[in-house]
Amino acid sequence: MSDSTMKTVRPGNTPSGKTWLERFEKIDRRWIFLLVGLGTLIPILFPIGFPVSVTPPVKSIYEKIETLGPGDVVLFSYDYGPTTAAENAPMIDAVLRHCLQRRIKVIALALYPLGGFTETARSLSVVMAEYPDRVYGVDYVNLGYKDGAQAAMRQMAEDMHAVFPTDSRGTALSEIPLMQQVRSLRDVDLVVTVATGIIGEWWANLINAQFGIPIALGCTAVSAPKYYAYLDAGQIIGLMGGLKGASEYERLLIDGYPLAATIYEDPLLQSAMKGMDVQTVDHVIIIGFILLGNVAFFMSRRRAPRR
Amino acid sequence: MEPYQLIGTWVAAGLTLCLFSFLYKDNPFFRFAEALFAGVSLGYYIGITLSQTIKPNLILPLAQGVTWDNAHLLFAGLVGINLYTRYIPKIAWFARLSLAIYVGYFVGINMVQKLQGEVLPQSADAMVNLLPPAAGGGIDWFPGSFNALLSFVGVVSVLVYFFFSVEHKGIVRPVSRLGIWFLMLGFGAAFGYTVMGRVSLLIGRFNFLVIEWIGGTMRAFGGGS
Amino acid sequence: MFLKLRLPLALTFLAGLIPIVAFFFTEKATWIRTPNSWLEQDMVIIAGFALLLGVVNVIQGNVRKIEQRSSGWIYAATLLTGLFVTGFFGIFGAMNFGPFQGIALRPDGTPTPFAWVSLYVFTPLQATMFSLLAFYVASAAFRAFRARNTEATILLIAAVIVMMGRIPIGESIFGVFGRPFGNERWLPDLTEWIMQIPNGAAQRGIIIGAALGAASLSLRVILGIERSYLGLERSE
Repeated sequence: MSDSTMKTVRPGNTPSGKTWLERFEKIDRRWIFLLVGLGTLIPILFPIGFPVSVTPPVKSIYEKIETLGPGDVVLFSYDYGPTTAAENAPMIDAVLRHCLQRRIKVIALALYPLGGFTETARSLSVVMAEYPDRVYGVDYVNLGYKDGAQAAMRQMAEDMHAVFPTDSRGTALSEIPLMQQVRSLRDVDLVVTVATGIIGEWWANLINAQFGIPIALGCTAVSAPKYYAYLDAGQIIGLMGGLKGASEYERLLIDGYPLAATIYEDPLLQSAMKGMDVQTVDHVIIIGFILLGNVAFFMSRRRAPRR
Repeated sequence: MEPYQLIGTWVAAGLTLCLFSFLYKDNPFFRFAEALFAGVSLGYYIGITLSQTIKPNLILPLAQGVTWDNAHLLFAGLVGINLYTRYIPKIAWFARLSLAIYVGYFVGINMVQKLQGEVLPQSADAMVNLLPPAAGGGIDWFPGSFNALLSFVGVVSVLVYFFFSVEHKGIVRPVSRLGIWFLMLGFGAAFGYTVMGRVSLLIGRFNFLVIEWIGGTMRAFGGGS
Repeated sequence: MFLKLRLPLALTFLAGLIPIVAFFFTEKATWIRTPNSWLEQDMVIIAGFALLLGVVNVIQGNVRKIEQRSSGWIYAATLLTGLFVTGFFGIFGAMNFGPFQGIALRPDGTPTPFAWVSLYVFTPLQATMFSLLAFYVASAAFRAFRARNTEATILLIAAVIVMMGRIPIGESIFGVFGRPFGNERWLPDLTEWIMQIPNGAAQRGIIIGAALGAASLSLRVILGIERSYLGLERSE
């Protein structure tokens, strides 16, 4: 019998002559897109409310901020843009809320050129609206964006006023009360950087390494594996990786502060914890595709004619 | 919702859907949004840099008068402007002088940063006590010693894999192979996190479309939450 | 020869040497710390000018496309429109010219024209462009992620463990298997262990190797051995 004849008499063949395996392996990718899209949309419309457990790297950041209080200063570096805001915005907002709950003073700035400035403004306008008693210039300040991140960081370690002569609105730093007590990074108790790219590494391998300033780092999920080496070496005090890391911090904040819990009950707030419902469904879909793809691969390898 | 917010949300939703249309197939709406993406991003750079760096750090200090303390800013301005001579063919080589200073400074910082900020701490962290003491006395064989040994072997084998000056044969070959396995574990973890990261971005866009666009429009016209 | 070659190499050497030497001295050594401080402040400004270099290139390329009516010239026009409109909002905002007071939100919370474009055009375009990758990663995972050999199998297993261990349902479902042993959190714990120990070791090796390579390249540039950044070959 010829090969083509053997193919048609095999069980499981479709009328076109292809096995279901071959059709499945060559499925139009738009069906995959549709499934992923539905897997994302449905949990948003019908939230599930999966519980979130906390990992040690995230808890380290929370515990560090728990040691700070009124009079202490935390610097927030918005080193991400809209490309990764879905992951990074919830984590920096959660840490910012934590600092405000503890009446820690906040200095915000941005070193990421493609959207850091916009994200700083967004974050402060959203979170500060929840704490209307805080006074700009006394309790918090937005220094805006600066180019040349590495050079800016090094100079900030000695003289922040030389790098940021004004805040984001153009007010001279000499006229801002909060900046009278903060001349350089050495006057800051903690730096919280949420970074999409290499700027996070620079906080660890430049500022922490050369000046010993403690760094708490939030990053995208894509970068998180790399930062475990920095965490282990003590170059960062804690790590929030991706939306999971953000959801863990939100969990800690809700458990520790009832006022924060009421903020996260707002149905319009796009929290990371709600995002984990969607993450769960999409992960299951993608793992399913990977496993099915491998099953099809092994079955077709078995069926391949031996030479 | 204010009118500028409502209009803005609809513009944002329209552009979002234009880009998503590429998932079905390439089309003029996607290409329009893609071109706008590139143009607006560059325009954003212009606004940010002029407003946040050039004006407060260069123009305003010099406008108040050139002093001994700020005279170096003239140097910065000259070097910066000189970068653009590369677009004038007759004097394009002049830009090399600015480029030399710019590149020289950042490689200088980089060299110290890499050695002091990465090689030293990471090497120190790799040279751990392989027989750590247990809390109640004795040696913490598991997980302490096991983890320390695995970590040390992992770092060494990965470095051996990347050492291409020596041919990977004899004893080097199995060590290098072990290094590849550690790298595969790392890359597998990285892939898992990459999936997580990409899905998170999609969640953000769908949240915008459902909660801010559709939900926000309904709320604006009294349709409830 | 001197102006076009020797002088740039000398400037690279000097600009690279200053931060390196300054690293080894405290603030009291003003003979090096002061010039280093000036240089750091200058570099912030020069980096700003450098960031905008690409804008000129893009304008030139797209204007040429429009002039020649090349294929897709209408999209080149769209790009330039977006660039000029946003750019002018930014320039007038920086100058506080007329209604363009700044580039951020006004004190009453309303956006300036630049801020409106940032919030409702720049942000959604940036975010959506990268969110498309979620679909492609799913498609690529299905089509290409095969356990063809030992290395690919290790990669696959690690990826699946991490993906399951980082979601709540992974802990719930697989926790059932750990209940008889008194550890329902075995999957998240295993995931965290993979991230810290094997992954940490691999990343540490990569960081050390890459850092040594980068440091040696930096030294070559400072010493003038590596000249490609000036558009020159080593023999020139």
